[in-house]
Amino acid sequence: MAEFVTVGRADEIAEGEAKAFPVNGQEIAVSRVSGALYGFSDICTHRQCNLSLGGEIEGTSITCECHGSTFDMTTGAVLEGPATEPVATFPVREENGELLIEA
Amino acid sequence: MADPRTFVVVGAGLCGATTVATLRAEGFDGRIVLIGAEEIPPYERPPLSKEYLRGEDPLETIMVRPPEWFTEHDIEARFGTHVTQLDAHAREVVLAGGERVAFDALVVATGGHNRRIEAPGSDLPGVLDLRYVGDAARLRDAVDGGARVACVGMGFIGAEVAASLRTMGCDVTVIEIFETALYRVLGGDVGRVLEAIHRDHGVVMHFNDLVARFEGDGRLERVVTRSGTVVEADVAVVGIGTEPAVHIMAGTGLDQPGGIPVGPTLETSIPGVFAVGDVARHEHPVFGPMRVEHFDNALKMGEAVARNMLGADAVFDDPHWFWSDQYDVQIQMAGFAPTWDRMVVRGSLEDRSFCAFLLDADGVLRSSVSIAWPRDVRRSFELIREQVRPDPAALADPDVDLRTLAPGKG
Repeated sequence: MAEFVTVGRADEIAEGEAKAFPVNGQEIAVSRVSGALYGFSDICTHRQCNLSLGGEIEGTSITCECHGSTFDMTTGAVLEGPATEPVATFPVREENGELLIEA
Repeated sequence: MADPRTFVVVGAGLCGATTVATLRAEGFDGRIVLIGAEEIPPYERPPLSKEYLRGEDPLETIMVRPPEWFTEHDIEARFGTHVTQLDAHAREVVLAGGERVAFDALVVATGGHNRRIEAPGSDLPGVLDLRYVGDAARLRDAVDGGARVACVGMGFIGAEVAASLRTMGCDVTVIEIFETALYRVLGGDVGRVLEAIHRDHGVVMHFNDLVARFEGDGRLERVVTRSGTVVEADVAVVGIGTEPAVHIMAGTGLDQPGGIPVGPTLETSIPGVFAVGDVARHEHPVFGPMRVEHFDNALKMGEAVARNMLGADAVFDDPHWFWSDQYDVQIQMAGFAPTWDRMVVRGSLEDRSFCAFLLDADGVLRSSVSIAWPRDVRRSFELIREQVRPDPAALADPDVDLRTLAPGKG
């Protein structure tokens, strides 16, 4: 059963940036856009690059630095190839200044 | 009721596969026939000189789509099938063996062939090249245990193969006609950075030289250059460029050595017949006529042509972008600048961490190229597409976000 795990402080995630956290054997990226937090798998489904390392964030999309795959971080859907498979998304919340991910 | 039209795509590489996938994603429910000469479903070629060659990633991880995707999406896939000719009057393609497939619209995405080297001994066992998955497997087997390898040509294929083979423990010697690595695409300044990286990894490079002959008793033993250098080698990998596979256009006047000419919307002069990917010579609205052999172009043209077949009639104005992975270094480049007037560097060539911007005589940004600095290549796309004349001081300043230099963003 998935549960919320505290991974760090919420202020580690600056507006328009993404940071990855290891949770239960998965690498999960958290990004903040217009104040809201989004959690998604940090591993691009195309060739397994880390999205949080240099991924370009525009609105709620993130573009993989390696080969240009673009994902919607709210749903995980592929917006631009070469990836064809979505990334998983994860509920994220902020509580008393702490960052929690459900995974 | 299903759309009554039949769309035929000849060529089942990334571009052809992306075309059919986009047609279905856009809701086209008519007949789609995808014809490819290779026996296996479409796969990505970039790993053939890297992860697949090195044995790190198996074939199933480099497929464009899972094999069952084609049947699940009602694509009539004809793999291992050669098209010999387009019959433009009958609006049919002719297959080897004589079968004809009629189309309402046709996409030619037949890619290219490797250019053959004109040198005695080039038919000796051990002289290889790289384009298909079987070539990569053959090269991997040939160098098993650390062979002495001569890479003929130091364009992207030669440079990536050299890097992979060094990583695999081979002795690698390069023979290259230009003055440094990747000279024709990257120019001297950036090329020499790449050259230094390869030298640091133990690659021996002979520039301004070319192969005079391949020698050996029954199989390759050495490569002799025009300048008289003798390179002892068990294996040679020839990567000296490609030629567009235009043969099916014979008789139409479109089988040109520079590629099948297509207008801004990717359509040829024959209505309803399109050409895309490596085989197409595209009238680009910013750069003029160009033929591009890169992965991202195949993907983007495949998407665009599908939409245009369905009536979008949109000009393809992608700024073009590619990457190359060599050792732990990634090179990225956007735009197109066969020549340039001025290069502005953000970062440091010496530190091998930079984005260089290529400006023409009017100060228009034509291209950007990075080593270990990809973000600003991506952020320059819009500036290149819009033919912006950026302030060189702003380009050189890492604290300036390039996106603020786009029209209307300043």
